[in-house]
Amino acid sequence: MSSRRLRDNDEWISALTSTGQAQEAALADLREILVSGLRRGLAAWLEPHSPQLVSLAEEASQEALVRILAKLDTFEGRSKFTTWAYKVAIRIALTELRRKQWKDVSLDQMLEFGSEEGREASVVDPQTGPEATVEQWDMLAQIGRILQEELTERQLAVMQAVALRGIPMEALAQKMGVERNALYKMMHDARLKLKRRLAREGLELGDVMATFEGSNTPGGRVVRGGSA
Amino acid sequence: MFDLLDRLRVWWSRGRRAPFAVSLFSLAILGRQIAATQEVEYACDDVYRLMDQFAEAVLRGDDAAPWMPLIRTHLERCPDCRAEFEALMQALRSPES
Repeated sequence: MSSRRLRDNDEWISALTSTGQAQEAALADLREILVSGLRRGLAAWLEPHSPQLVSLAEEASQEALVRILAKLDTFEGRSKFTTWAYKVAIRIALTELRRKQWKDVSLDQMLEFGSEEGREASVVDPQTGPEATVEQWDMLAQIGRILQEELTERQLAVMQAVALRGIPMEALAQKMGVERNALYKMMHDARLKLKRRLAREGLELGDVMATFEGSNTPGGRVVRGGSA
Repeated sequence: MFDLLDRLRVWWSRGRRAPFAVSLFSLAILGRQIAATQEVEYACDDVYRLMDQFAEAVLRGDDAAPWMPLIRTHLERCPDCRAEFEALMQALRSPES
């Protein structure tokens, strides 16, 4: 049975901003709560009782305590304090997990799928898409052309790495030396630019969606922009 | 002096625009994302700021806050934030939290 004291938000803030025994007790309780929460929260990524999970939960909780103390004044009280603290600890833990998982993969390796795919696949084969109508093929070709005209290979490779290969943006951002937030904004700008261009070209997005929903599109088939 | 964002902008826009090919699979995935793109989207920092409130609202079944659709949209797009949200929900599914 845990001897941990239940606290409301004000009591957490009060204890953590105090000194001496009250602060130490609050830190010990919060650490225990974070470790336990991380072990539940990260169970989808690591084996529940594995040493890796235990170690990550403890290290991330420790780092989270430091960050929480430094950022206490940013807690607005709009959620339970422990929910806010979990959020901080989970960001730290998953960032570290991604860093470890991707540490031996270079940025070029993360992006090479898109460029290799582009180099290798250069054939339009209308015969290979039995479900696709001529109109659908034409639309896909137009979209391919617009991608080609609006994006650099690198931009396309980043978008493909995230969307198709599931490479975490955090991992990409770490390799690029930038914040994930900035990377997301860049990708949003690119998507918006493409969406506006599609609209200017008179390609109805509803039609585009219908084309994608209905088409059977294995990875080997390729449309070269503007050549179909 | 370049800040990090400037560096990203330079990196992002560098590279050739010579013809390259795009598979239908890529077009399908990217096309769906492009079609679903909104003029205004929350970025990762916006979502992080509100994630604790959002998680508690979801647990209460409360969908009233005007910013909640923006968070839902971002979570559909961003696997990193989605992972953090799912981990947070798992952490909160306990009597002690």
